[in-house]
Amino acid sequence: MSLFRSPNLVPMLVIAVVIALLYYPLMLFANVPVAQRALDNGAALECKTALECAPQMRSPVLPSPQQLLTGFRSLLFPLNAPTSIIPNALTTAFNTLMGLLLAAVVGFFFAIGIVASRAFERSLLPLVVASQTVPIIAIAPMLVVVLGQYGVQGWLPKAIIAGFVAFFPIAIGVAKGLRSPDPMALDLMKTYNAPTWQTYVLLRFPASVPYLFTAFKVSVTAALIGAIVAEIATVGFQGGLGRMLFENSRASDVVAIWVIMISSAVLGILLVALVNLAERVVTPWKR
Amino acid sequence: MEAVKSAEGRNPKAEGQSLLGWVLLAAGFGLLLWFIASWWSRTELAPGGLKLLIGAGFLIGALGLARVANSFTKTTNALIAFVPAGLTLLLALVTVEALLRAYQVPVGLIPTPSRVLSTLVDVRQVLLQDAYQTVVLEAFTGWAVGSVLGVGFALLVSRFVFLERGFLPYASAFSAIPIVALAPVLVKMVGIEWQSKAIIVAITVFFPVVVNTFRGLTEVSHMSLDLMRSYAASQLQNYSALRIPNALPFIFNGLKLGTTLAMIGAIVGEFFGANGQGLGFRIQIEAGRFGFDIVWSAIIVASVIGIAWYNAVAWVERRLTGWHVSFRE
Repeated sequence: MSLFRSPNLVPMLVIAVVIALLYYPLMLFANVPVAQRALDNGAALECKTALECAPQMRSPVLPSPQQLLTGFRSLLFPLNAPTSIIPNALTTAFNTLMGLLLAAVVGFFFAIGIVASRAFERSLLPLVVASQTVPIIAIAPMLVVVLGQYGVQGWLPKAIIAGFVAFFPIAIGVAKGLRSPDPMALDLMKTYNAPTWQTYVLLRFPASVPYLFTAFKVSVTAALIGAIVAEIATVGFQGGLGRMLFENSRASDVVAIWVIMISSAVLGILLVALVNLAERVVTPWKR
Repeated sequence: MEAVKSAEGRNPKAEGQSLLGWVLLAAGFGLLLWFIASWWSRTELAPGGLKLLIGAGFLIGALGLARVANSFTKTTNALIAFVPAGLTLLLALVTVEALLRAYQVPVGLIPTPSRVLSTLVDVRQVLLQDAYQTVVLEAFTGWAVGSVLGVGFALLVSRFVFLERGFLPYASAFSAIPIVALAPVLVKMVGIEWQSKAIIVAITVFFPVVVNTFRGLTEVSHMSLDLMRSYAASQLQNYSALRIPNALPFIFNGLKLGTTLAMIGAIVGEFFGANGQGLGFRIQIEAGRFGFDIVWSAIIVASVIGIAWYNAVAWVERRLTGWHVSFRE
């Protein structure tokens, strides 16, 4: 593991320790006034002083480490329960990855269009570029409902939205990749009198794979956000982290949403790591 | 002389193609618009022949568009270059309108573009108020705060190697975190007023600005650094004369990225709790009660503001960093 030999390790650990040490006092600082107010209002609490109450409030400003641990334990076990984080995180990861796949397939066709035809590029690319400065995510709640009306349910609407968000970087990245082969290699294909499709299959597609992975790295987080937002609008158990987030946010279970937030952060980092791993396996010559 | 040259440079064949394209495009639009006009107030499904007509109108229009777009491939004027894209959008909207009317799709499910437009005019007062809350109070405040903090933090980090090594890996890990997950936590922590969303936006904008600014501050050519050293420049001069100008294009990249993230952050933040105002709140509420014409109107407002904001930042960038390689011809 390169991480353990990196010069970043010691500073990173120091910073982590400092933050960990600062967290508890910060938590007390944030919670004590709220706890004091609750005591003053005569709330029936088991603790006597505000300082004692601060780490164990029902809806803390900052949850204490003990609360987070308990929260994790209750949201994690039993592992296969519909309210457990694990199946929901898997659902979300699946939706995200299907979205990326969808975006890659559509993005490939779009990229071929861009590379093959100037007219296509001129008439569609500006719209796609403009759509990127638009909060596309706003369409998600509506898209889920409309697709649901037409019988499109389950993972597909979420994958569509995740893919929609991830589409642009992938299409642009692949287009760049399709244009990237060495001119000498392109000339060689021409001297072999290769038809256009062979130039694509033998030369341009392989050349675009590294660009595809770079685009994946950029868009995987965006796709994850898309999947989570899409899940908010759906109903039912095992609806993914977005659903859990929304349910617990409605129920005002503050510790639970902290736990889900941390879990989705971990999921985001894991997905990026997964893309990195896939890149290493698929394009070993790049290293 | 000039006129003769350009007349000679014209390709009569391409000219004819372009003219044919415009004619086809007009014919396609004519067919579609004729159908929409004739079906405006009818409530029954269109017969098969008319549906075919819509398909034909779209195909003819698209064929024409391809020819027209070909004649626009050489222009360098950004506005003129956008004409084919604008025509594509128009053709798509008119086709959608015709299809929705032909198949009599319930207005509550997919509103026709014309209906969305009339709704947009009707509810503009409400939407403008929502936009004020979402854009000015939440997105812009958060973006400004996040950007200033981000640039400041990057300056600090670039100055001290220890901070760079300790913080930057976390910063790049943070960019892998889905911001939506932050939203409910912050709304519960700070409350449902606009401040909670502004904080979400600030956090979202902060990390890309830090990462971009840091790259700009540190990716300085060795020659320039050596020159500064040979002048015995102080750290302050080093920053003011070399590092910060070098970082400007990078900072603007972060800021432009930030505008989009800010709109997304504010809108998504409102999905998790708002004080009864805001574009995200409106979208969430109206999608739940099938008021999709209002949802689309809100999306149009958000999109127009998003595009305008991005281009405003890009305009400032061109004014300030016109010297940079990426703007030279």
